[in-house]
Parts: sequence; C-alpha cells; structure tokens
Amino acid sequence: MGKGYYTIACYPEKCDGCNDCVKACAEFHTGTQQPEHSRIKLTKVEESDAFVITLCHQCGEPRCVMNCPSGALSKDVNTGVVQWDEKRCVNCQLCTLACPYGGITYNSLSDQVMKCDLCAGDAACVKACPRGALELKVGADLFNSWGDLEDLFVPGISACLGCNSELLIRHTLRRVGSNTVVATPPGCIAGVGSVGVNGLTATKAPVFHPLLTNTAAMLAGAKRYYNRIGRDVTMLAFAGDGGAADVGFQSLSGAAERGEQMIYICVDNEGYMNTGVQRSSTTPYGAWTSTTPVGTALRGKTRDAKPLPLLMVMHHCEYVATASLAFMEDFYAKLDKAIEAAKKGMAYIHVFSPCPTGWRFHPSKLIEVARKAVETNMVPLWEYINDEGRVYLTYPVDNPVPVEDYLSLVGKYSHLDEEQIAHTRDTIDKQIKILKSFTGEGPEVVKSEEFAGVSAVKHVSAAASTQQGH
Amino acid sequence: MSRTIVCDGNEAAAWGVALSRPDMVAVYPITPQSSLAEYISQFVADGIINADLMDVEGEHSVLSVLHGACLAGARTFTASCGQGLAFMFEPYFRTPPLRLPIVMSIVTRDGITPQCVWGGQQDAMTVREVGWVHMYCETAQEIMDTVVMAYRIAEHREVMLPVNVNHDGNYLSYCVEKVEIPDQEEVDDFLGEKNTNWHVALDPDRPMGVDPLTGGAGGPGPALFVRYRKGQCKGMQTALRVITEVHEEWGKRFGRYYAPLVEEYRLDDAEYAIVTIGSMAGAGKDAVDLARESGEKVGLIKIKTFRPFPLKVLRQSLSKVKAIGVVDRSVSFGWNSGPVYQELLSTLYFLDERIPTVSFIGGLAGADITIEHFTRVIETTAVALRGKEFAEPIWLNEND
Repeated sequence: MGKGYYTIACYPEKCDGCNDCVKACAEFHTGTQQPEHSRIKLTKVEESDAFVITLCHQCGEPRCVMNCPSGALSKDVNTGVVQWDEKRCVNCQLCTLACPYGGITYNSLSDQVMKCDLCAGDAACVKACPRGALELKVGADLFNSWGDLEDLFVPGISACLGCNSELLIRHTLRRVGSNTVVATPPGCIAGVGSVGVNGLTATKAPVFHPLLTNTAAMLAGAKRYYNRIGRDVTMLAFAGDGGAADVGFQSLSGAAERGEQMIYICVDNEGYMNTGVQRSSTTPYGAWTSTTPVGTALRGKTRDAKPLPLLMVMHHCEYVATASLAFMEDFYAKLDKAIEAAKKGMAYIHVFSPCPTGWRFHPSKLIEVARKAVETNMVPLWEYINDEGRVYLTYPVDNPVPVEDYLSLVGKYSHLDEEQIAHTRDTIDKQIKILKSFTGEGPEVVKSEEFAGVSAVKHVSAAASTQQGH
Repeated sequence: MSRTIVCDGNEAAAWGVALSRPDMVAVYPITPQSSLAEYISQFVADGIINADLMDVEGEHSVLSVLHGACLAGARTFTASCGQGLAFMFEPYFRTPPLRLPIVMSIVTRDGITPQCVWGGQQDAMTVREVGWVHMYCETAQEIMDTVVMAYRIAEHREVMLPVNVNHDGNYLSYCVEKVEIPDQEEVDDFLGEKNTNWHVALDPDRPMGVDPLTGGAGGPGPALFVRYRKGQCKGMQTALRVITEVHEEWGKRFGRYYAPLVEEYRLDDAEYAIVTIGSMAGAGKDAVDLARESGEKVGLIKIKTFRPFPLKVLRQSLSKVKAIGVVDRSVSFGWNSGPVYQELLSTLYFLDERIPTVSFIGGLAGADITIEHFTRVIETTAVALRGKEFAEPIWLNEND
C-alpha cells in the first residue's frame, strides 16, 4: 500500500489577508519580497473580508504531471512533492491549464511557471503566518498508520449504499486485529453477512451471532475463560441500538457492572433498520419510523432518545465515548483508548450511525449528515475516563449551526413543525448542559462571584462538584 | 478415598459439580434452587471448586455467559427452575442446536400463576421438546452421581448435547440423606479429557463464523438446515446408548447401579403397573409392596431418562402388563392429562394390543404424593384393568 505525504493545509477562515505568507514565499525562493514570485496567492473575495488561499495541493495523481509534454513535472515518491525541473521545461504552460486548483502558475517576472516545493520540508509561508491559517501536515495520518493492516471483512457484503456500519466495521477490525472474538447480534451488521449465510462467512476472525439480548454476557463468558487459561484475546461487540439500549440492555448493564473486559460498540442508527425501520429507544424525538408514523393524528416519535452513553458512564465503565465517522481521527483516538481500557474492564463506544435507507437521505450525503449532527450539537463528541472520573468534550461546538441545517438533510424529519423543532432545540440545550456539568467546565458548576478572587478554592470546588456528578 | 456425608439434594448436586471440575459456574438464585447456588458459591470461596463464579444479573445471562465460555472451551454448570428457566428460555432454546455440552440442574418447581414457589415438574416438562437431555433423579445420591455422569454424556463426541439433571424441588432439594462422595482421582479417571468445543468454537486460533444465517427458499440453505436438525436428532438417539453405557461404567467403578433409562420394580409377574418419574417413585414402591402383600399383582415403572424418549425400553416394559396408571407431577394443558401419560400413549401404539390407561396428576404446588395416594392409584388402575374406562385425569390432591 502507498503512503500519505506532507502537504500544506489552508484554513481560509483564519486568514486576514496580511500577505506575510506571500512575502515569505517570494523571499525564500528569490531573495526578494515581490509578490509575483510567490507560489502562494491570496485573493480577496468580493464584498467580504474573506480570502481564498491558492497553492499546490501536491496531488496524489497530479494533472500537471500528466499534462506535461516534456517530463518537467514529476511526483517525488519519497517526499510527495510535485517537482518542477527547469531544465526540461519547454514553457508551454499546459500545466497551468491542467491544474484544477491554480497550484502551478506563470510568473511574468521570470517568464517561467512556478509551484510550491514545500521549501524542502520547512515551508516558509507556514512559519510566516501569524494566525495559523496555514499548517504543514500529513493529510493521511490514519492511512499511514493503519493502511497496511488487513481489512478483516471480505468485499462484496450486502450493505446498503452509503452504509455507515460498513465503514465502521472495516475501520474498527482493521485496527483491533484478528486476535479478537467478534459479536454481531441480529441487526444490520449481522444482516450484511458478517457472520455469514449458509456456511459462508464475511469475517476473517472468529465471529458469531449472539442473541439480540445477550451479546455482553456471551462475550463475558468467553473472555473469562481465556483469562483463566492465560490467553489474551480481545472481545469486540458491534451491537445496534436495539441490542444495546433496548432488549439487550440488561445483559449490557450487568456486564458493565461486573466490569467485564470487552470493547462494546453500539452502532446507533436510531432504530431497527434491519427489520424495516421501526423505532427504538434511541430514536430521537419527532423522527418518522415505520412504528412512529406521520399522519393526521401522529407526527413521529413523541419521546426523546434514551441517553445510553451517559447511562454507561454511570456504570463506571473504564471508558465511554461517543463518535461520528465524519471525525475519523477522533474515532481512531477513542478506539485506541478503548483497546487499552478493555484490558481492565468495559470500554463502551457509542457510534452515531446515520442510515441513508432508513432515514431517507441520499447515500452520498452520509458523511455530511454525520458531520452536521455534530456541528449542531445533536451529537456531541465526548469521552469519559473512569480513572479520572471525568467527561471531556473532544470536539466542543461552542457556536453550533442551527439545528434546521441538520434536520433538513434527513428525510425522517421532513414533517417537523415549528413546535417540534423547538422541542429538538430544547433537547439539545439540555443535553449540552448535562454534559458540561459532567466535564466540570459548565457555567453552573462554580459561580465565580461566590469565589471571587480565590482561584485555588474555585479549582478544588470544581473538582469536587465533578465527582459528585451534580 | 471415598467418604460419606449427610446432605440434602441441593448440596449433593453441588458435590457432583465439584467432582466434575468445571471451569465456570454461573448462578442466579431462585427457590427451591437457591441453596444449590449458595453451596456452589461457597465451594468456590473455599477452593473446593476451582472455577470462575459468574454471579450475573439474571438467568438469561447465566446461560449466555456459559455459552460464551463453552464456545471458548470451558466446562460449565448452572442450575435453575420455574420462572428462572422461563426467563432463560431464549438461550436455553439455543443450547442444543449449538451442540454445547452444558450441564444444568433443574430443581423442579411448579409454575405461576397462581403464584407458587414450591415443587412440581411443570417447568422441566414444559421445556421437554427443546432438545436438552432430561434425566430425573430419585435420591440425593443419584443426584450427585448423575451430575457427574451428565458430563460424560454431554461431552461424548457423538452426543455433544446439553444435559438437564432434574430433581424435585422441596422433596429432593431439601431432603437430607446419606451421600457417598467418591475419590476425586477416580472421578477424574472416569470423566477423562474435557471435550467441549471441538466442533464449534470462538477461538482466534481456529477462526470460524459461528451460527451464520441458514435457510431461505432456493439455494443450499434449507438442505443445510435439515442436516443440522437431523444431526441433532441423531445426537439425541445416540445419547440413549451413551447414557446406558455411562451408567453401566459408573456402576462398575463406584458400585452404584441405576437404571439409566427406565427402571422396572416388581414388574416381571405383574398384571398391571403404575408409572412414575422423579422422587415420587419411593412412595410408589412402598405402595406397590403393600398392594403385593394383599395379593395384587402390581409393579412399577420409573422413567429416569425422559429426553431422549426411551421408546424401545419402555415398550418392552409396558408389554409385560395389561393396564397402566401414570402419575404426573405436572399438567399437559393441550391434552387434559399429564405429559408423561400423554407420551406413554404414543409408546402404547407400538404394542400388539391396546391396554387400558389412567392419567393421574398429583404433587402440584409442593403437595406430597403419599403412599395413600399411590394406593388409590393402584386401586384405580386395577379397576381400569377390569374394564372401566377413565376418560378424564384423576387429580390426586384435589380433595386432600
């Protein structure tokens, strides 16, 4: 497998157009600060304060290289930099037409094309930017770290187009590895053939159908026996919200209370998708499902979702986290912690799993839905570390986008009226308030006027309040 | 060295478990099984049983943790009854087709409703068709011995099925008797190598997909499903032979012989017989002795193994008599009779001639079935022998 390279990431929202990057680039490459020599360009967006940053993306399959008739452009396999060779260049400028990003441009002063070369790995523009709008980074950390590991699911499983679960199981098992017993109770993940059909299996690791009701108990039994005979085997569950929050909750709760060692991933697609989109206890308020239909008398689900991840915190699991696969680095970091925590007790990850089929949105919108839910605070990303007795927001959204931006993406909410949207807004506010009281950062935890000027006391009280969990 | 102790049936079962050296025991208390769960827990605490004690949150998880452990390679035990068995039903139903050699005592109890915590065989009888081997014991000693034998039967390579060792709640669970505990080394030698998951495993060293979807119209599914089902039936039928062999070997090694499938008592010259199951057989035999003293040619047939159903042996026993009275400790609601009675009717089909039968139902909800009750059973069966038909069951404790 290949590898991901360094490139310069741009955050235009941080750019104020100061031009320091442009000057630094010109200076580094020519010794002057003339903007004509700069490989990076800033363009002011008309009638706004925003700027567009233009520079080479160091593409994996560069169009400029493909279009160059003289072999003057090439991709360096060691550094990933798309290099321009002055000696071979015939100055036809086809490359400037081929690049979709404006990353290679004609310099009228030198009468040559020019492009970013990352300054041999020490990009001058990045160092010059005072606002952090530029960052030299590997855009494929996960790929570089885990891309060579084997995908333990075979291709051709029968998941729907745009299935979040398929994305989840491939990434998770690749990371967790094959020294694992995988439980996939009845639901979509079993339904796509993870355990298999008629003697064939889709998983290259020991895998089984528990009952919908007993996933945690069966894994606990197997794990205890492996511990007894001195073998270190990981237990991993991919249970739906039905198998975790509803009919399987007793088994999960019991195993959590006993501190059974496993990674329990709840794949929350907010309903019984595999049986035809019926409601579950994690279906959000107002959502259409086939058992919370929309008609003249009923307008979708009438109750809020059960906050299962918070319930797992109250079980004192070793580790609890929420995740959305639009934030894959966040998920991988949590998976790493879960793998460690599962050596001591239960690690529980609640993965928000939008379902194009059951929620009525186009499969191409999966990641957008998964992202927007987080950006609206519908799905806050957080983790609980039992050793610290504390919750951390891993992607705090202090200025959430309006919840309508999320609801309007998803067909199951298309009928919501103003009152129902207001209820959803309230639920989100309450959810964030509760979470913040767990993090010890919420405004209610310590009223600053009561401790004015006594910061040490403030700190101690905040910690004490956190432990009491409010 | 073997030693003799005095204990009740629940403790005897716990000693049977200890002798069998399980890797995992799972417990959830329910009357009248509770003291068995307590004995096992104490035995683990005292190091008498070196096993993982899974004190889980309910019977459903009790059997589920044992499924996981057994699939990983553990020898396992649990016990339950009544509502606990009902709550356990989902994994219980799944144990035989997974071919997991789990051993479980059912300390039989009558079912609710009406609310009832006392003995009766309604629980075990209700689940008789699920595919577990069911053996019913008569004494505390037989309980201990049968628990050990159950592992040999369950783990037999050609059987690979779960076994219920059933003993009557109240009457055997709390009845104190002399029990001889054999030498551990001799039991180890009798049991041999553990054999729990050669056929199906959750083990990264032998990765496999356990229990894929099977069936669906068209394709190889239904035929594959039939293969599983037929294999299960074959395992059950093989168990009849294995149960017999294991009981014989137990007798040879430890000097205690039990009828493995069906026991005949004073049957050879009998004109008619009463049929019993479980602990009531003791009172039944006493009543037979009394009747014999007054010249009645009556014998007794006791069923030990009810699943798999011992058709051949039972047919042989029944062919010796001209009338039978069957005493059940539970009810078959669909047939307005006792379930043992109803199943014996199927056996009678294989006899050359039709013989009169009477269904008795007694000992429900903890009631005793006394010698007097059995004397009535014998007298009524004698009336049937002389030609009177009994279309309705006779409820022994109805007018107590």
